[in-house]
Amino acid sequence: MKLFARGCGLSQLPYTARAEDLSIRDRFEIEAHAATCPECAAALREVHSVDAALRSAFAPLRERRATLAPGRVRLALNSRRVERSTLFRLPRVFGRLAEVSVMVGVTLFVIGGSVEYPQSVAPQQPRSIIQDYFRKQPPTDEIDYFRWLRLNRTESAMVVSDPVRFPDGGRYDFDLVEPVRAPTASPR
Amino acid sequence: MKLAGHPQPAGDARTDRDLVYAARDGVTEAFDALFYRYRDGIFRLGLAITKDPSAADEIVIDTFARAHRALARLEPDDSLRPWLYRVAVNLSYNRRPRKNVVLSSLDDAADEALANEEGSPPNVAEQAELRRLVLGAVDELGPKHRLVVVLHYLNGLNLTEIAQVVDCPIGTVKSRLHYALRRLRTHLAAHPELGIEPSRPLLATGLRGRRPITAPVPLEDE
Repeated sequence: MKLFARGCGLSQLPYTARAEDLSIRDRFEIEAHAATCPECAAALREVHSVDAALRSAFAPLRERRATLAPGRVRLALNSRRVERSTLFRLPRVFGRLAEVSVMVGVTLFVIGGSVEYPQSVAPQQPRSIIQDYFRKQPPTDEIDYFRWLRLNRTESAMVVSDPVRFPDGGRYDFDLVEPVRAPTASPR
Repeated sequence: MKLAGHPQPAGDARTDRDLVYAARDGVTEAFDALFYRYRDGIFRLGLAITKDPSAADEIVIDTFARAHRALARLEPDDSLRPWLYRVAVNLSYNRRPRKNVVLSSLDDAADEALANEEGSPPNVAEQAELRRLVLGAVDELGPKHRLVVVLHYLNGLNLTEIAQVVDCPIGTVKSRLHYALRRLRTHLAAHPELGIEPSRPLLATGLRGRRPITAPVPLEDE
């Protein structure tokens, strides 16, 4: 006993028949079958309207065309070939590495703030008696000698006269030198 | 349509197989002929899936770049079309828009095409509305079913070629097309302006009986 009607086994055929490259004989057989099978006839009628709507809707889209030339493909192929070449890529990598190194160095310098060796970690060299002895000896060369004098000033050399000069009895403690002008040829 | 900036060669009468062998020998014109032969179809397919014209352009370029690299091992029996479309479908699904990105849909592209159509403005607007409804219903199908519909109605592939493109048996393609058309019919029947009858249960209308149908719709009616 059948509880449910199973329907025609060919009911899918009308839906797909339009998409298939059927021969005239096959088409005739489907139409002949639809003439006797109400289910397939209804399916054929249903799919006709949907098929027409779809063909009409896709018609303007079928007119769309690409504006590409085959040169774009060759360009894509060549660029990929260049990208894959290790020989071309290697100098670029090293150049970039150098750039990054310089950038990192400059950044660290800016953050660190000075090129001097930090005083806290400056090496404490032991004092040498021999070096002290030779440092106290006057050099033989004239220029070095003056430099030595300037750098090794003794206490007596550091004594200077009073820089503030006060007038004494209305006069300065030295005579002011009047500038003497040369006689001119002026009639006055 | 010929574009001024892209001169197209005259239609090459050689088969795909001949062109592939010529391109393999380094004949640039043969590869160009293949490009011009399938460029528009692949562009439309990419546009239908990604809904992004610039992505569709990239899909065309990538597809032919892959074809160029695969020339040495390509053995087309008679047509290169299913192989190219298969590559294009895979590339298109890799570039599908993300959920948050809003791109123009198929009906926007149809509106663009309709803008150049002749006719009175009300008629053009009515046609555009009907197309928008149909393409909106296609967009609501699942990806597998939509792909079959697009490959057949937009690119004109038959069931055998579609089976090669989606890499499944032809029976599966028939089943998917059957399901998609029934679903579309149910969806579009809600819009009476399209002239699609609402489906009625066969048992209720008495069609289940062995009553002969007087006038079945012929298959070749176009």
